[in-house]
Amino acid sequence: MKQAEIHQFLERFFTATSCEILENKQGYLIVQLTIDLDKELMNRPFYWHYLEKTGGTPNPAKLTLITNPAIAPKDIKGELIHFGSPRLHQLFACAKKLSGYIRLYENRQGKAQEHTALKPWININMKISYQCDRKRDVFRSIGLQLINGQIVDDFQTKLEKLPLTAKIPDFAFTLSPLIMPKSGITRIENTIKQTLLAEDYTWAEEAKQRWAKDLRLLEHFYEDMEDYSESLETERLALQEQYEPKINISIINGGFFYLTSEAI
Amino acid sequence: MTISINFDDSWNHEMMKRMEDDGPWANWELYKLALEVEQHTIIPEFEGLQAPKHLSDLTPLPHQLEVAKKVIEDMNGKAILADEVGLGKTIEAGLILKEYMIRGLVKKVLILVPASLVTQWAMELNTKFFIPAAIQRKSYVWEQADIVVSSIDTAKRDPHKDIIYNQNYDLVIIDEAHKLKNNKTKNYEFVQNLKKKFCLLLTATPIQNRISEIFNLVSLLKPGHLGNEASFYEKYKKDARSINDDEHLKELVNKVMIRNRRQDTGIEWTKRVVEAVTIEFSQEEKELYDSILHLKDMDAGDEGRSPFSMITLQREACSSREAVYYTLQNMLKKTEQPTEKLIQNVQFLMKKVEAVQSNSKANKTLELIKKINDKVIIFTEYRATQLYLQWFLKQHGITSVPFRGGFKRGKKDWMRDLFKNHAQVLIATEAGGEGINLQFCHHIINFDLPWNPMRLEQRIGRIHRLGQEKNVMIYNFAIKDTVEDHILKLLYEKIHLFEKVVGDLDDILTKLDFGKIDDHMLDIFSHSRTEGEMKIKMDNLTSMIEFAQSLKEEKEHEASGNTSIS
Repeated sequence: MKQAEIHQFLERFFTATSCEILENKQGYLIVQLTIDLDKELMNRPFYWHYLEKTGGTPNPAKLTLITNPAIAPKDIKGELIHFGSPRLHQLFACAKKLSGYIRLYENRQGKAQEHTALKPWININMKISYQCDRKRDVFRSIGLQLINGQIVDDFQTKLEKLPLTAKIPDFAFTLSPLIMPKSGITRIENTIKQTLLAEDYTWAEEAKQRWAKDLRLLEHFYEDMEDYSESLETERLALQEQYEPKINISIINGGFFYLTSEAI
Repeated sequence: MTISINFDDSWNHEMMKRMEDDGPWANWELYKLALEVEQHTIIPEFEGLQAPKHLSDLTPLPHQLEVAKKVIEDMNGKAILADEVGLGKTIEAGLILKEYMIRGLVKKVLILVPASLVTQWAMELNTKFFIPAAIQRKSYVWEQADIVVSSIDTAKRDPHKDIIYNQNYDLVIIDEAHKLKNNKTKNYEFVQNLKKKFCLLLTATPIQNRISEIFNLVSLLKPGHLGNEASFYEKYKKDARSINDDEHLKELVNKVMIRNRRQDTGIEWTKRVVEAVTIEFSQEEKELYDSILHLKDMDAGDEGRSPFSMITLQREACSSREAVYYTLQNMLKKTEQPTEKLIQNVQFLMKKVEAVQSNSKANKTLELIKKINDKVIIFTEYRATQLYLQWFLKQHGITSVPFRGGFKRGKKDWMRDLFKNHAQVLIATEAGGEGINLQFCHHIINFDLPWNPMRLEQRIGRIHRLGQEKNVMIYNFAIKDTVEDHILKLLYEKIHLFEKVVGDLDDILTKLDFGKIDDHMLDIFSHSRTEGEMKIKMDNLTSMIEFAQSLKEEKEHEASGNTSIS
C-alpha cells in the first residue's frame, strides 16, 4: 500500500463509518469521529463511562491523520499514518470487527404480479495460514447455497458484480433454507479441510527437519550438564513454538446473501 | 503426515446469535474494505518480504534485502548484524522493523544507538520507512511513544532505567553492539534486563572469535540457549580463540550472525587513492624531537617517566608543539612531588617547544587544502593540535569546524551541518570519528597516524561508504625519520593497509593469536634500544601479519565456500 492508497483507504473507511471528514487536503485529513468510533479507537472507557453516568454532552475526538508529511502543510500537527503503523493496524482491525456479519439482498425488483424469488446463500471469507517458522496465507471466499448445497469458490468476486441492498426489494421474497445455516458452516469447514489434507506438505516436512536440526544443536550444549531440566525445557518449547507446522483458518467475515437464480 | 488444522469457530457462534437477534449487520462498503485490507496484509509466499513493496522512496540493495529476509525467515528475529562498515546496517534494521510492523508482530520498539547517531536514525526511519520513531527527550516518551530512539547512556540511567524495565518491547535494536561483549558491564546488564521478543545487535566489528564473546552475545539474544555459563566454559575453554574447530559452535554462530563483506555485495565501490606525504621537520622541530629521544635514552627506567609517556611525547612532537606543551604541563601537574630532575627536563623541553616557530605539517596541510579546493576532513589524535589547526587555518582565511566524540548529540549534528553547508574543513579527533557519516566529502588528511589499523579503517569508513560517489583521496602525513615514518611504512608499504577494503584486516588480525597491535607497537618503540632492534621487531610484526594474510587467502582458496564467519 503506497501512501496515496492509504489516503484513499482512510477516506473510504471514515465515510463508511459515517464519520464526517472535516478537511481532506493533499497529504492529510481531519476527521470528526462519531461516538461509536471514538469508543472503538480512542481507548478512553473511563471518559465514556463518566459521561454516561453524569449525562454530560459527549465530545468525540477529532483525528488529524497525515499521509504524506512531504506535501502536508508544515503547521499541521497529527499522526503520521504509514503501512505498518499501529493506528492503521487499529483501523484495519476495526474495519474487520465492524464488518464481521452481513445480510444483503440482490437488488432486482420483481413485478406486482410476478414476485422475484431470492435463494439463500451463506458466505464465508477466510484466511488460511500455513505456519511454521515461516508463514504463508491464502485467501478463500466460499459460498454455499442453503437449498441445494451447491458450493462456489471465489464467491466474493461474483458478489461484487451484483447490485446488493440491505433491505429486501419490493416484490421480492426469500426462499426458506433447507440446510440449516449451522450445518452449512460445518459443510464449508469440512470441504476446506478436505482440500487441505490433499495438499503438498513439503513445507511442513522441511520445517520439521529444520526443527530437528536446531533441537540437536540445543541439546548438544546441554550434554553432560547435570542441573538443566528447567531452562532446557523452556528452550525446547520455544523451538516448538517457532517451528511446529500447523494450519490456522481464521474467518475474516461472512453472512447471508439472498440472490436470484441467475446471479451465480 | 499429520498436521493440526484449527478452524476458528468463534465466528460461528456469533453468527448464530446475530441470526436470532436479526442483526446488527455490517454495511457492504465496510465489508468490502475489510477484505481489501486482508488482501494487503496477506503473506502470499513462505519466502519473501512484504516491506519493499510498501516503500516507494527506498530501493534497498540486494545484500540488504537478503539480510532482512534471512533474519525474518531463518533467525526468528534474533540476530547479530555484523556487516562491514558502510554497507547500510541501518537500512537492514529498518527493513526488518518495517516488515515486522507490517505483519503486525511488532509495535513497541526500543532503539539504542550512539548519541551522535540518534537524530540520524530517527530521521532515516521517518523519511525512508515512514516509521514514526521518536527521539527520547523527556522521560515520559518511553511510555507514550511506540518507537523510541535513544542513546544507551541515557537509557540506562535513572529515572529512565526503571521506566524502560517496565515496558514490554517487541523489538530491541542496538547499534554498536560490540560494546556488549563483556557481561560484567552496566550496559550488558541493562540490555539483558530488557523485556524483548525480537532483538537485533548491530556491529561493524565481527565477533573476535572468542568463546566468551560468543557466549555473551548469544545469551543476550537467546537466554538459556547455551546452558549455563560455568559448564559452557568447562566444555569450551573460556579464552580459546578459535571457534572454527567446533562444528557446533560454528553452526551456532551461523544461526545468529550475518556478516557481509564489501566484496560479497557485488556493488562497485569507488576507489581509495592513497598518497603518502613525507614532510621534513624544520630545524627547531627536529631539535625538539631529538631532545625527547635523547631524554628517553638518558632516563630509561626513571620513575615518573614511563616509556609510554615518552613515546607519546615523541608522537606528539610529530603532530604539533601545542600537543607536546599540553602533555608536559599535565606531567608536572599530575606528579605529586616532582623530582628536581623531572622539573629540569620539562623546563628543558619547554624551551625547545618555545623555540619552534612554525609547524611544517600545518604548512603542508594549508598548501594541500588550497590545491584540493574542496571539502577536506583532517584527523588528528590530539586535541591541542585540533585547536591549533583551527586557529592556523583561520589565519589563512580557511573556515573549519571542530569535531570531537565528547560533543553532545545536538552539537555533533550541528557541526556536521556546518561542515556540509558552510565550512571547507572539518577537524576531527579520534573519538569523534565514530558515528558520523560524511559521504559528501572525499578527501581525508591523516595529520598524524594512530597505531591501531582498525582506527584508521574507522576514519576512512566515515566517508568511504555507501553513497560515496567519488574516489576517496587519503593523504597520510608522516615526518621523515621519526616514529611516524616507521608506522606508515609498516601499515602502508608492508601490509598495504590502505588499499585493502574494510574488514579484510580485522579478519586477519583476529585470526592471529597475538593480541593487540597497539601493544606490539608500544613495545617496539619503547623497549627497543637501538634503531636496528626496532627495525628487526618491526619486520617480525610485519611478517606475522603477512603470514596471517597468506593463511587467510589459502583458506579462502581451498574452501571458497561462503560461510558468514571466516
